[in-house]
Amino acid sequence: MMDIWNRSKIGSGDILRSQIGPLLLWFRKIEDELHIAFERLPEPDTIVDATGPAAVNGVEPEGLDWGRWIVGDETNTFQVLPIMPDRPVVVHPELPVKIPTGHQALFFVSIPVWLRAIAGEKKPIELCEVPVLILSNTWFGDPMSGQLCYSLRSRARRQIKDSEPNPSRAVCPVKIRNTSPRQLNIERLCVHVEHLKTYSGDKNLWTNGVTITFRGEDQVSKIDYSRERPAFEPISEMLSEARVPIKESVLKRSIGSFKFFSGM
Amino acid sequence: MLLLTGINFSKLVTMETINSAIRIIVLLGLGFPLLLFLCTLAGKAAKKRFTPQAGMLIRKGIFYFGSILLLISVLYQMGFKLTALLGAAGIAGIAIGFASQTSVSNIISGLFLISEKPFAVGDLIKVDDTKGTILSIDLLSVKLRTLDNQLVRIPNESLIKNQVTNITRFPIRRFDINVGIAYKEDVSKVRNVLLDIAKNNPYCLDEPEPLVLFLNFGDSALEFLFAVWFVKTDFFKLRNSIMQEIKERFDAEGIEIPFPHRTLYTGSVTEPFPVKIVPSDAKKQKQRS
Repeated sequence: MMDIWNRSKIGSGDILRSQIGPLLLWFRKIEDELHIAFERLPEPDTIVDATGPAAVNGVEPEGLDWGRWIVGDETNTFQVLPIMPDRPVVVHPELPVKIPTGHQALFFVSIPVWLRAIAGEKKPIELCEVPVLILSNTWFGDPMSGQLCYSLRSRARRQIKDSEPNPSRAVCPVKIRNTSPRQLNIERLCVHVEHLKTYSGDKNLWTNGVTITFRGEDQVSKIDYSRERPAFEPISEMLSEARVPIKESVLKRSIGSFKFFSGM
Repeated sequence: MLLLTGINFSKLVTMETINSAIRIIVLLGLGFPLLLFLCTLAGKAAKKRFTPQAGMLIRKGIFYFGSILLLISVLYQMGFKLTALLGAAGIAGIAIGFASQTSVSNIISGLFLISEKPFAVGDLIKVDDTKGTILSIDLLSVKLRTLDNQLVRIPNESLIKNQVTNITRFPIRRFDINVGIAYKEDVSKVRNVLLDIAKNNPYCLDEPEPLVLFLNFGDSALEFLFAVWFVKTDFFKLRNSIMQEIKERFDAEGIEIPFPHRTLYTGSVTEPFPVKIVPSDAKKQKQRS
């Protein structure tokens, strides 16, 4: 499955097509220009197919919105890589989760990736980025000083074997520790995905792990981003670096257990 | 030439006057560049620590204070008596003060605005009927660029006196839409349709949650308030898209948005309104034939 992330060759006049879940990617080389277009399939949540770039024997579909990049005559390869979204993702578990004081729990959150197209090999040129799935916007924090995030409904699985591999989503292992004196009620969880790398596993795409230590409603949480590869299945390689690399643990508000009212 | 013949240049150009002239040249030659350097340095430091407006204020304050000191020093070197000069300046100050009341009021208002910080450069504000983005906050006035690209200068005094709305102070805003539906419609269905519109609109935030409030039994319609939250930069996109979506969705769901109407009632004991039935043109022609 993971050969979809390999580098592909494209010659002048070629038209290639690749599919990552609900997103079709079209590549066309005309002289020194590389053209890229995207097409979204309906019912995006149900599509888990993935194919690497392959020549299209026929007429390309009409109405594609092509973008043009001047990459030079000598650039005849390109690569598509998964990368985490550009903003934090607020995960809403389908059922609110409660963690008693002194306990911890590991969740596997499946996050839709973005795709980054890169041309060339020796001096790679970043061409564009596109989300596989368009997530709705949400606000995390109070209306005066919060943060714009993407919203994601999730089952917040406890076992990875329960989930079907999906090439358009990366599994993020999130461990939550409740060190506060009260029971932790999780209605929303803000995952700062901009600090996460993506890895290619045997079946799934993975990110490095996140450990959130909850210390109380009135205190910020301690967030640790693992530097190790995820150990839940064999990992073949790291596919992309974090957008905003981070070395030390950070203190941020990341768990929401109350709702903000609309101000009426 | 005739005038010059009467002047004794040897008396006028003494060593003392030459010394004074040299001192004045040195004062101006070194003083002004030094003053400008100090202004820039202090302005940059204040801009880093405080706001750009505070930086500008400190820079101008140092410049004016330094310039006055330089001027006094130069006049002293030229032989003017400072006590008399200061006395004259006091009288002139009173006269100028009376003449420039408005300007002084604007300057003091500007100082209050800078310290209070109700807005900053780049904010979109509304003053009376004027709406625009702040280009600069100066000592006397605030300059706005309106949405149709005009420059508006508002004196600081009016900003202190009048109500000012800072539209873009906070990162998210709420957009309120008043929706009226016919009395025959199912209220729960309308509520669900509106919430679904908000859910599917990419510019509506999931949280804070959209709000549907049943406001009133109006004259012609059941009145609702539909309020959605959005990121301040998405205002026009949201407004255009969501209004269109409400109309299209209501049409698709068969939900009527009624026009204002009046029911004329003569009372139960009164006679009904007399109605005269007029035949159409086609019927009239048939009757004639």
